[in-house]
Amino acid sequence: MHMRTRRFLDRAFTSAACLAVGLMVLFLLFVLGPIFVKGAGAYVFMGTVEHRRMMLDQFDRGNEERVTAEWLDVQQARRPVYEALSAFEKELPGLPAARRKELKPAFKAVREGVAELLGPEPGEPLPALTRKMYGQTRWTKAQEKLKEIRFEESWDYSAGAGRKVLTSRQPLFDGTALAPLFPLLERDARKLLRPRLTFYPRFLTDVSIDAHFFGGIGPEVLGTMYLALGAMLIAVPLGIIAAIYFQEYAKEGPVMTFLRSCVNTLAGVPSIVFGLFGLAFFINTMHVSSGKSVLAGALTLALLVLPTVIRSSEEAIAAVPRAYKEGAMALGAGPWRTILTVILPAALPGILTGIVISMGRAAGETAPIIFTAAVSVGKMIGPTEIASQPTPALSWNLYNLCTEHEAVNEIRHVQFGMAATLVVIVLALNLVAILIRARVARRLKG
Amino acid sequence: MTDTVKQNVEAHVEARGFSVYYGSQEAVKKVDLAIPSCQVTAIIGPSGCGKSTFLRAINRMNDLITGCHTQGELFFDGQNVYSGDVDTAVVRRRIGMVFQKPNPFPKSIYDNVAYGPRLHGSYSRRQLDAIVEESLVDAALWDEVKDRLEKNALGLSGGQAQRLCLARALAVKPEMLLMDEPTSALDPKATARIEELIVQLRGRYTIAIVTHNMQQAARVSDMTAFFYEGNLVEFDATKDLFTRPREKRTEDYITGRFG
Amino acid sequence: MKGSEHLILSAAEKLQRKILGLLGRSLLFAVTSVAALSVLAILFFIARDAWPFFRDKGVAAFFFSTAWYPAHQPPEFGAAAIFVGSLLVTLTAVALAVPPGVLAAICMSDILPFSVRQVLKPVVEMLAAIPSVVYGFFALTVLAPFLQDSGKWLPGGFEISSGVNALNASVILGVMALPTIVSVSEDALQAAGRELREGSYALGATRAETLVKVVLPAAVSGVFSAVLLGIMRAMGETMVVWMASGNAAQIPKPWYNLLQPVRTLTATIAGDMGEADQMTGSAHYHVLFAMGLSLLVISFLCNLAGEWIVTRQRKRLRGG
Repeated sequence: MHMRTRRFLDRAFTSAACLAVGLMVLFLLFVLGPIFVKGAGAYVFMGTVEHRRMMLDQFDRGNEERVTAEWLDVQQARRPVYEALSAFEKELPGLPAARRKELKPAFKAVREGVAELLGPEPGEPLPALTRKMYGQTRWTKAQEKLKEIRFEESWDYSAGAGRKVLTSRQPLFDGTALAPLFPLLERDARKLLRPRLTFYPRFLTDVSIDAHFFGGIGPEVLGTMYLALGAMLIAVPLGIIAAIYFQEYAKEGPVMTFLRSCVNTLAGVPSIVFGLFGLAFFINTMHVSSGKSVLAGALTLALLVLPTVIRSSEEAIAAVPRAYKEGAMALGAGPWRTILTVILPAALPGILTGIVISMGRAAGETAPIIFTAAVSVGKMIGPTEIASQPTPALSWNLYNLCTEHEAVNEIRHVQFGMAATLVVIVLALNLVAILIRARVARRLKG
Repeated sequence: MTDTVKQNVEAHVEARGFSVYYGSQEAVKKVDLAIPSCQVTAIIGPSGCGKSTFLRAINRMNDLITGCHTQGELFFDGQNVYSGDVDTAVVRRRIGMVFQKPNPFPKSIYDNVAYGPRLHGSYSRRQLDAIVEESLVDAALWDEVKDRLEKNALGLSGGQAQRLCLARALAVKPEMLLMDEPTSALDPKATARIEELIVQLRGRYTIAIVTHNMQQAARVSDMTAFFYEGNLVEFDATKDLFTRPREKRTEDYITGRFG
Repeated sequence: MKGSEHLILSAAEKLQRKILGLLGRSLLFAVTSVAALSVLAILFFIARDAWPFFRDKGVAAFFFSTAWYPAHQPPEFGAAAIFVGSLLVTLTAVALAVPPGVLAAICMSDILPFSVRQVLKPVVEMLAAIPSVVYGFFALTVLAPFLQDSGKWLPGGFEISSGVNALNASVILGVMALPTIVSVSEDALQAAGRELREGSYALGATRAETLVKVVLPAAVSGVFSAVLLGIMRAMGETMVVWMASGNAAQIPKPWYNLLQPVRTLTATIAGDMGEADQMTGSAHYHVLFAMGLSLLVISFLCNLAGEWIVTRQRKRLRGG
């Protein structure tokens, strides 16, 4: 081969390899980007007056006087909207039959749209569902609703694939009493809703109201914490003891080889199978609880993270210099004292790294808790109910809210908020692990 | 060879037909040796001659190595260290050890020295303070570290770390000190300080030191034992062994013809 | 201090120590065994609840029929399509992930300077740490609409009826398998050693030639086990396939049409358990355990294969 082709091939290969790394980084940004950006929207957003009313009613938060005053102003501003609606309602029976037939469904859509945008009309009985008691609490969502009122959505199939077509409703109502409504909504939308930059950090700890239409993700966060901490409480002692045995006591032989490959195999068991096992063993056989419970879920998750805890602890113990052990022995320490006073303290950072990473894994897992611990709707549970009550959890409820919820599209911000929160928790735990490792590396250097 | 020991000095450690095996390989071969009390005994020989193995056998550190076993008898203070009923913890408390490479624990300087006393008894904080100070003074480290006793011992220089290990060994008040090439990882200046210390400690402790440095053996020791291929070739007063070796192999070694 | 403490233990002390030592040791051994043998308990309890299904319905229909109608009267439990779905998604994911994964591993071990590698390690770890349900959420809300729209850009204006399909699930599973493949392959490449590389460079080989002709062949068993681990990760993944694969129990027509929805073993277990009446121990409940058992057996086999590769490699290195 010519030197030139060889050099070209070398360059091509190098670029391909660098490209692959770039692709990986890109993937990470591509996944995390939208989740962080949109997830932040659950905590910081343009909140309307409806949000402030809701917070006052439901959570008793905010300045009551100011919100009431603002509410009176807004009602004033909204009066023309309702006047236009009722004027048209009176006008409608007098219109010619053909025109009436044409306008009636459109009017119904507009009226429903206004109710969704601004909340129930004044004077109407209060709806039973909390989600219907308020208009749009978030400005971005309100703008979507505005568009739905002003334009009719239809699908055009003439080109083969369907294409969305938006037609303005305004020309339809030209000359009627409803005509002023459209410019009003377009021009004065801000006056009707008063969007304002809103910080809602308590999204993290608030209970949800009416199936996540309002409020936060407190019960889910709490449930995830219970499950992750519970799993570690069970897995860490077991894992460290097993690691000590494997590293310090075990004599190589068929029994040890077998136990070791058991641990390796456990690491490869699919997570959903852990869920099945939790159901079949902890709940249906051991009856740790009559049905799903935090305890059953934590036990199942503990098994899942056990191999990781064992392996990382073993690695950490194996990395302790032999000289430490000899030094302790030479001073007359027995094997137990040596392990407890010298080896474990020296291995602690490594063991902690493994624990923290496993905890992140336990917090993020979904499949093992579906049958053992998770429910989609639930309140915050107290520490005494751990053995008997199931719990919502971030991972499971994220699945539930974006697939099985009755209004998946209405609560996108909650889904993204939940996903971002879960990712932040898991990545923060990983960051802690990275920092511990860096510290150890620095200390060993000098 | 025991007849070469001066009869007026009491033997602190006495090996009788003592062998150490790694698996089936005999690393120390039927050695008879009596280490006198309160003197410095150097053990020299080419690498792999079994000198370290013999030293580590005295406080039973070889127990840590799987497949290592012994034959014959090894008396410490008149008791066979290898009899079945021996408490190795007591053996190791009474016989301190300093290793080739300084091995301070990743703890504070104070905790390193206090480690041994804490293992073997319960002391008040004040008693511990006194033990720590006394041991560090004996190891000639006190002045350098008295202001930073709570600092991690891993921050010490090699020579300081080795003296800390010596202080750690002294803190349990042993009767004997084993030193396994204690200066091989140190620079000449640090080596000189350790040698000074050995001379200072002489008379208070029985010291056995393994070294590959013959000048060092000549400088610090009263008695010298020469090991070769697992055998004790010659054991004599240091000044005699280095000036008038009786064995041809000893002469070859100390004149640098091999090793 | 008790300077001349006696070396010899009394008989009582000796017995006490012996008993305590034995007790401590057996306690440790017991705990270790519980931890290690739990995998056998998993196998036993999954098999126990799978057994009634195989006993009553037999084996043939489960593995070879594609008629999956668990809610019909009488129900039919042909899981062939579901097995094919799992296989299709897993293999596609691994096929997508292995080339960039191995290339990235090469880049990280041999091309990039040490400092950049220190930055990239956490990137790989983060990619591995993101919970699967978040990947699933991403697949459903970001990738699916994107896939659905992308049909019209392709030549022929070709229509993708749904963004949740085998391709979507495979792409995301590939991303999830990537960190495993990268880090295990990188370890294998590093283990190949500097002498090997220097030997090749000394003969005038370029970097690419060194890597492809010398280093990769030396590290091939490590790369194989990386691929196996990737397969296990993709095969056992639940949430992503549940959310992104479309969950239709059918074999795509033609079988390689990744734009059709499929259903996998894991997603079926997760999705059907709610409907399967557990208390009465219905066939539907037991068939899900039969699927769990199949997954378990597959993962055991992958593990065995992995261990076999490792021991073979070790023997080869030892035997020269």
